[in-house]
Amino acid sequence: MLKPNTTHCLLTTLSILLPGIAMADVDTSEWLCEFCPFEDGYRGSYDAGATYVSEDSARFGNGTGYDEKGAYAELDGNGSYANGAYRLDWSVEDLGLSSRVLELDGGLQGSFGFTIGYREMPYRQFNTARTIFAASRPDALALPGGWVAAGTTGGFTQLASPLQPQNAESDRQVFDLGGNWTPGSHFRVFADFQRQNRDGIKISGGSSFTNASLLPQWFDYETDRIDAGISYATSRANLGVAYYGSFFTNNQQSYSWETPFTSSPGAEVLRKSAAPSNDFHQIALSGAFRATAWDTVTTFSAASGRGEQNEAFLPYSINPNISAGALPSDSLGAKVDTSNYAIAISTRPFPKGRIRFTYRVDERDNKTLRSDWNRVIVDAFSSGEIEQNTPYSFDRSHLTLSGELVTWKDIRISGGYGHKVLERDYQEVAKQTIDAGWGQLRWRPLSWLDFRVKGGTEERDIDRYDESVGASFGQNPLLRKYNLAYRFRSYGELFVGIAPGESRWSIGSTVLVADDRYNKSLLGMTDSEEIRATIDVSFAISKNASTYFIIGHENIDALQLGSEQFNNWDWLADHEDTFDHVGIGARWRDANDKFDISADYNRGAGKTSIRMESVSGGDSLLPDLKSTLDSVRIKASYRWTERLQGIVDIRVEQFELNDWALVAPDAIPTVLTLGAEPYDYDLWAIGLGVRYSFGSRDIALAN
Amino acid sequence: MTAKTRIAILAALFAVISVPGVVSSQSPDDEAAPADYSRKGADTCLSCHDDQSTLAVFRTRHAVPEDSDSPFGHGQLQCESCHGAGADHSGRVRRGQERPPIFAFDQNSVASISEQNDFCIDCHTEDLGFAWHASGHDSNSVSCAGCHISHADSDPVLSASTQVEVCFDCHQQQRTQFMKPYAHPVRQGKMDCANCHSTHGETTDLLMVRQTANDTCYDCHAETRGPYLWEHAPVSEDCGNCHDPHGSNQPGMLSMRAPLLCQGCHSEDGHPSLPQDERGLPSGLPSQFLLGESCLNCHSEVHGSNHPSGSKLMR
Repeated sequence: MLKPNTTHCLLTTLSILLPGIAMADVDTSEWLCEFCPFEDGYRGSYDAGATYVSEDSARFGNGTGYDEKGAYAELDGNGSYANGAYRLDWSVEDLGLSSRVLELDGGLQGSFGFTIGYREMPYRQFNTARTIFAASRPDALALPGGWVAAGTTGGFTQLASPLQPQNAESDRQVFDLGGNWTPGSHFRVFADFQRQNRDGIKISGGSSFTNASLLPQWFDYETDRIDAGISYATSRANLGVAYYGSFFTNNQQSYSWETPFTSSPGAEVLRKSAAPSNDFHQIALSGAFRATAWDTVTTFSAASGRGEQNEAFLPYSINPNISAGALPSDSLGAKVDTSNYAIAISTRPFPKGRIRFTYRVDERDNKTLRSDWNRVIVDAFSSGEIEQNTPYSFDRSHLTLSGELVTWKDIRISGGYGHKVLERDYQEVAKQTIDAGWGQLRWRPLSWLDFRVKGGTEERDIDRYDESVGASFGQNPLLRKYNLAYRFRSYGELFVGIAPGESRWSIGSTVLVADDRYNKSLLGMTDSEEIRATIDVSFAISKNASTYFIIGHENIDALQLGSEQFNNWDWLADHEDTFDHVGIGARWRDANDKFDISADYNRGAGKTSIRMESVSGGDSLLPDLKSTLDSVRIKASYRWTERLQGIVDIRVEQFELNDWALVAPDAIPTVLTLGAEPYDYDLWAIGLGVRYSFGSRDIALAN
Repeated sequence: MTAKTRIAILAALFAVISVPGVVSSQSPDDEAAPADYSRKGADTCLSCHDDQSTLAVFRTRHAVPEDSDSPFGHGQLQCESCHGAGADHSGRVRRGQERPPIFAFDQNSVASISEQNDFCIDCHTEDLGFAWHASGHDSNSVSCAGCHISHADSDPVLSASTQVEVCFDCHQQQRTQFMKPYAHPVRQGKMDCANCHSTHGETTDLLMVRQTANDTCYDCHAETRGPYLWEHAPVSEDCGNCHDPHGSNQPGMLSMRAPLLCQGCHSEDGHPSLPQDERGLPSGLPSQFLLGESCLNCHSEVHGSNHPSGSKLMR
């Protein structure tokens, strides 16, 4: 955190520099604005109708709320009220769905404002899961009566009958309340409060000794957030102080379940902890000022934060037959201090040149005490070893210097250098340095033609890879973790934009090629290549009709080496991850604004191919992981009267997923899964409704 | 480098830049003679520009006479607050003579993008300050009008359901990524880019709305923040070590399919070091390391564990 004298120094400097806003010396006595149609009164529209969805689908319902077959009420609307500087805007979206949004925004412009909002966001993961577990309490799962445990799922003779459908889904409710006040033309005070509740069922693994069960775990999270601050701004400088607080409460601090597998005495019921409640507080000072010399703008920020967590510990084990001793403490009393400093300077030493400098530091200082801990392995037996917790800290600084020069024919040449240093503790690499350089050429030979070519390299080097750290966990000393390893990256980018001002065409295309080499890694990630390309075309058929066409392609190839033995790699994995997107659509509205129709088609196809090669298994190709989405949406409206419209919204969507990891409950001998099936749906949804508008639609001159 | 040293460097930089600002605060531009404005202000403009798209400005917060800071506030310069002095443009022209252009906010404008943006920033100091100048948007010559329609009844970039299409005009690769099978609900219009990115500029990396990428993620995923008793090092450092927040072919928006993602860092003797190939599929000897939740079948608490026996992230 900034020391008081430092803060005082900055404030004093700024106060000297702040000139008042000079009003233009213009005689506006005859500027009566007699023709100005200032807004006054109510205006808005409401939609009411219903949508029918032809099929159950968790994926289609994810985010939208249309997860079940059937009819849904559709209520939407928005409006505003204006009376001088008093304004009130409201909007309602998807009121009949679990994705509903309500927002109210108002105030006296230039003086104060407020917002009130409520929104829900459904997360629908699977509606095909099945489980034998039943919740005896929200935080406890019980086996069905008379369950006979077995060593593997193949021995679960009673598995079929007690399997019950269990959706994996959750809902997020977000309530926002905010206000701002402008006590003078330069000051602004604001305070925003947000509460998020999220509850539902998530899939979580629960392990016993050599087995595991995928559990339908109930969770209930609550997060409160406060953002408040004050800022002072003039035409030349601004300064702000803000507080950010985040308070997370988990209403389920632990989770227990009865294992369906054969277990040792006392280990029939197992327990794990849930995410602990925690708080985070941060004070931030930020500001900027603009000096006329070289048109220099300096922006800075400094933030100091603290995260705390002190949730009461569970005992080492729920197993009554194991005594692992007393815990070092009843709770962790964890404290993490964060510091973030940044400065950015942008200056134009001459009209056609520009230099930018940025420097940023992010620190995470985990001050949690280290202690000695016993460990009871999966509630079955004591490990007999003492372990110490490792509170990770890091210190990351990033410096960049770049410049741009406008040359002949408005060709812009720019280049930059970046230097990043990352220091950590308790990890294999204590200090990592990234040096990056890039160059770019941008040419706009015509106002509607834009070329941009960029290329660069980046070398991530390390002071040393301390193999003893990994070795203490039994890690292969030859492994280089991909986020810690030496890496040399080279990349090139091309952008072309064609948008003739008077033409009806607009074309944009981007290509990115990147190559990562982990030259010093004998095990782990060794190579990665990436290609991304897009084409975006739009065409105005007429004043009232337009169409577009989009293509996107992405391909990532990566090679990874592993080892069963400790002297060299003896298996490799060759990944190829591709994704293609095609979109096409059109919109037409008639000249009288009576009829409006749009149609969009999107296709997204993803594929992950993994080829394995190993000493023990030879060449092996895992089946492709594939997803295919075909989505059509047609929206139309017809205006019967000035105020009344009919609206139609048709969606046809098909999705197919091939994923070998999703298997039947008893497919894996040692894991009881929830049997969720890969997404596969082919549905349609039709919505019909009416829209009623009030207030004037067209704007006419006042006189 | 200690915190004190860093603060000293930042303060020194600040001071160095401050001095020329003080010395040169009275630039020749400040003393320039005022340009000629139209005779009747907006009434002059509206005598020609009376189409719906122009008049829509009167449904925006730019046109509130009672707000003295609004361009149409009492004593303000109305249309010419943004479009500059318009006497030449609105004056008489001889037959065949081209009408002098007015200051416009588009690619055909006589003004550079930087000049266009300065008009906006002159007033919008509180909302976006000068952080704009620290942003990649500024360095790539993005204009305010490239994203905002100031004459629109409702500006598309200010609505979650329409904002992304504005961003995707330039960020086309992100549009492709959000079409992937596992992505935040951006395609559904339930999240927008501004949920995570401060598009007007920040001193943060990648224009994150919070100080770091992780802090931004914690806004909605505070359950992963900890601090935990047993931390997973890459998690507390950068969520992006394992997740692609713009979308992925893999569940959980993971950047690679498990167990290979995990094996990129874990090669302890035993199951972490074994190849998980087609032998582990249901048609062979179904493997708990490959199928179901893969490593997470047992090590379910990958974001960290607060259980005293949770050092292996299984509790």
